Amino acid sequence: MKTISTLVSHHVKRPSISDRPYIALICILVLSPSLLFAASSGLADRVIEHKLANGMTVLMVERHQAPVVSINMTFGVGGVNEQVGQTGLAHLYEHMAFKGTRTVGTKNYEKEKPILDELHRVGTELEQRQRELARRSVDMSIDANEKAAIETLQKRFKELQDQALQYVSGNEMALLYQRHGGVGLNASTGKDLTRYVISLPSNRLPLWAAIESDRMANPVLREFYKERGVVMEERRLRNDDSPNGLLFETFTSAAFRAHQYGVPTIGWESDILSLTPAATEAFFKTYYGPGRATIGIVGDINPKEVIALIENTFGKIPAGPPPPQIVTVEPPQRGERRVEVEFDAEPSVAIGFHKPGLGHPDDYVFDVIDELLTDGPTSRLYRQLVRDGRLAASVHSDANYPGVRSSNLFVLSATPLAPHTTGEVETAILAELERLKSEPVSPKELERIINNLDADMVRALRSNSGLASQLALYQTVAGDWRYVLKARDKIAAVTPADIQRVATQYFTKSNRTVAMLVKKTVAKQLATAASREVVQ
Amino acid sequence: MRCRNSKGLQRGIVNILLIAVWLLTTTVAFAGDAVLSDPRTMKFAPVEFSPPEPARHVLENGMVVYLLEDHELPLVSLSATMRTGGWLEPQDKIGLAGLTGSLMRTGGGGGLTAEKIDEELEQFAIDINMGMGRQSGIASLDVLSKDLARGMRIFAGLLRQPAFEPERVELAKLQAIEAIRRRQDNPGSIVSREFLKQLYGPEHPSARESTIESVKRITRDDLAAFHQRTVHPNGIILGVTGDFKTNEMLALLRGTFGDWQKGDVPELKIAEVSELTGRSNVRFDSKETSQTHLRVGHLSIKEQDADYVPLAIANDILGGSSFRSRLNTGVHDQGVWLMRAETKLPSTQEVINRFVANMERMRTELVTAEELAEAKEAYVNSFVFSFASPSAIVGRFVELEYDGLPKDFLQQLRARVIALSREDVLAAAKKHFHADRLTIVAVGSGEALPKLLSGFGEVKEIKLAPEG
Repeated sequence: MKTISTLVSHHVKRPSISDRPYIALICILVLSPSLLFAASSGLADRVIEHKLANGMTVLMVERHQAPVVSINMTFGVGGVNEQVGQTGLAHLYEHMAFKGTRTVGTKNYEKEKPILDELHRVGTELEQRQRELARRSVDMSIDANEKAAIETLQKRFKELQDQALQYVSGNEMALLYQRHGGVGLNASTGKDLTRYVISLPSNRLPLWAAIESDRMANPVLREFYKERGVVMEERRLRNDDSPNGLLFETFTSAAFRAHQYGVPTIGWESDILSLTPAATEAFFKTYYGPGRATIGIVGDINPKEVIALIENTFGKIPAGPPPPQIVTVEPPQRGERRVEVEFDAEPSVAIGFHKPGLGHPDDYVFDVIDELLTDGPTSRLYRQLVRDGRLAASVHSDANYPGVRSSNLFVLSATPLAPHTTGEVETAILAELERLKSEPVSPKELERIINNLDADMVRALRSNSGLASQLALYQTVAGDWRYVLKARDKIAAVTPADIQRVATQYFTKSNRTVAMLVKKTVAKQLATAASREVVQ
Repeated sequence: MRCRNSKGLQRGIVNILLIAVWLLTTTVAFAGDAVLSDPRTMKFAPVEFSPPEPARHVLENGMVVYLLEDHELPLVSLSATMRTGGWLEPQDKIGLAGLTGSLMRTGGGGGLTAEKIDEELEQFAIDINMGMGRQSGIASLDVLSKDLARGMRIFAGLLRQPAFEPERVELAKLQAIEAIRRRQDNPGSIVSREFLKQLYGPEHPSARESTIESVKRITRDDLAAFHQRTVHPNGIILGVTGDFKTNEMLALLRGTFGDWQKGDVPELKIAEVSELTGRSNVRFDSKETSQTHLRVGHLSIKEQDADYVPLAIANDILGGSSFRSRLNTGVHDQGVWLMRAETKLPSTQEVINRFVANMERMRTELVTAEELAEAKEAYVNSFVFSFASPSAIVGRFVELEYDGLPKDFLQQLRARVIALSREDVLAAAKKHFHADRLTIVAVGSGEALPKLLSGFGEVKEIKLAPEG
């Protein structure tokens, strides 16, 4: 029942034609959500682990059904690593990572480099002076000389951009992968991690190793300003023009006052438009060392050969310095927070409670509560709000929003069924949370949860890409992919008394943030934000 | 913590799609410090793979069954493709097929109450899904092999004798109405649906939509009658994969479905659409947005058309990658040539101009040998992914048979791709790209859009009645 997005994804190429009737059941073809595998299945023995001297971790599973392989490369870096004024940087870097290296993506790097250097210098200065001018124009003290200087810079910027473009071998990395039969090339950025994925015919693994080790060692920030514009369009699409996107952005930033989890991964508009090549490069150097990378490889492989290949490529990359620690801790919430978002859309509601992140014993209890409340048609909230109460059209929950590593939120969200209101839905949800405090959960409900968990673990093994993703994910956020096996047992050990205790401790008014999407009927045109994009 | 493969990953969204013809030119190698070999010059042996072929059986009552064993995991997966769907709905009850499909799953059946079924499925972690789209229905079962008999009994009961319990019907109708009320919340949803209506006409089965009134009109008896009339064993193609023995599975299927009587299976025939009009058709819908949501294109060919292959390759070269998924054009009705973008308001014209320029260029210039080679290699080298798992293999066979295509259709396509010339691509683009007859639909600023769009044809506003 989880539909809340915490990742922002990069998109490399998309279909242009699509008219096949959309069948509502298409989601059944997608990998079931899941933990890894039941300890009893014996498949845990199939994971082969290899650690490089530079700190990189490789996790492999052989599956020889077809001559294909799926690769998931996950870096322990994301929105949490950004500084004030540079939000959106982790996601922008992920986009830039597709622009190539000193070899791929260029027609002549030696000639291109000085142009890029100057372009980035001029672009940075131009934007600084434009911002300063815009600030000063408010109090009318515009300097004609300054205006002329900016125009000169702008002209030079345009010239350099045109010159740089001549050396660009557009989209070459994606084209290389495609030419060799690669499918599913993509990447995504979240609060805690950034992931790069591809599936290939298995004999093309050397191509993957060459491309990826090259981009880990020698990325080149080309087409920076164009790509920053693309990211800005993505923000408009996902957050500004999406009622749910804007609701969750507002909700999250209300719930967190100090911790970086409160900042949208896509970044604030003004920050995105001010990100510089220098900051982007520095971010890469700080956070993209091999020690922060885990590679999950599942498919038709020979692990010995894969290890040799990876040692010969990624193994040559020197270890990076340890990145700065994240020191900010969200202070305890001292009272309910309520926010509204006005939108030309039907109402909905999100309710969140602060809770501990990964590794804390109470985290497993929340996993159980999550299932209990919204997983499937027999879950408590579905029955109370949707099936019997007919107050809501849908209800969802997420036990780890918006990230998993740090203290996060348990989130409930619902869409009321007209003419019922968000207020009625909120009341009904809170009543159900109260019930968790006062009544012990039945053994049958707990049994159902474990049965589903075990089945999900088996289903997760069906897809190469799903398995590669799960291995790399848990290795990165928990430091060990075996976490899933331990978590299964911890979840199975959760008692009715644990649930009552945790519900009583965390589901309190003062620990609560409530956000409502409120219908705004009068349509008026926004002053277009686009005019603020000074450089294009 | 329990992380799931979140459905919320929001893959597949692109922000500004400026289709560009990629120029591949010879490049000068530059040796970076950590690069051992240049990925651009690597050569590999062709991918050799002979996927296992599923067994095909036809039960006495005409139900077609494809089976492929796969004993890696203790799971069985079964999917029934049904010859039914929205094209059979009467005009005043649009939404009937969708509701019938979802209520086959949720309304109880086979002698069990809806509540009992929900409990059983949840307790044993059995997944059953049922639904109907515009041109087909799908019912699926996914179950641990130890619980196969239990899962199959419930699945067959729902498929053959759905009960359509009145309370569940009422709930599904309320949910359907709520979904209609929320249709206009997202500009992307508006522009996609309005684009199809402009192309096919608002009453055509490929574009028409339910309304609050049409859903309200649908009764429990309508659902039961629609199921009775359209879901028959001889209209079903079943694909089964997983941990079973073929002869035992066949015996189970015969025992479960053997006494289900044949019926009159509806013929899948979609009304033809009138030809393209002689000029462009420009529409906008005014909504407060931060960018323009654009769909540009026109009706195109069917998948059986002789020009399908060159046109699909032209699309790949332009920047799509739809060909490989074989999901891009209609088999039973006309396909659509679609270009899509979301862009800030001031760039609206530029984006449309680039769409038009790219189409014109495909019509007037030969693609380069390099471009064609790239597109061909991409197709040939990724071909293996159409057969990468037992369920993918069985899914292909079921889909092709449902569409009335030969079982080696993909292999035929592959051979035609390999044989394709640059001239073939040019000729197909010339014949089927019509930059002068585009349908352009935009959602965004009602004040600025009409002016920005006026250069592309007569602009008319789509006035959407508020649903909420």
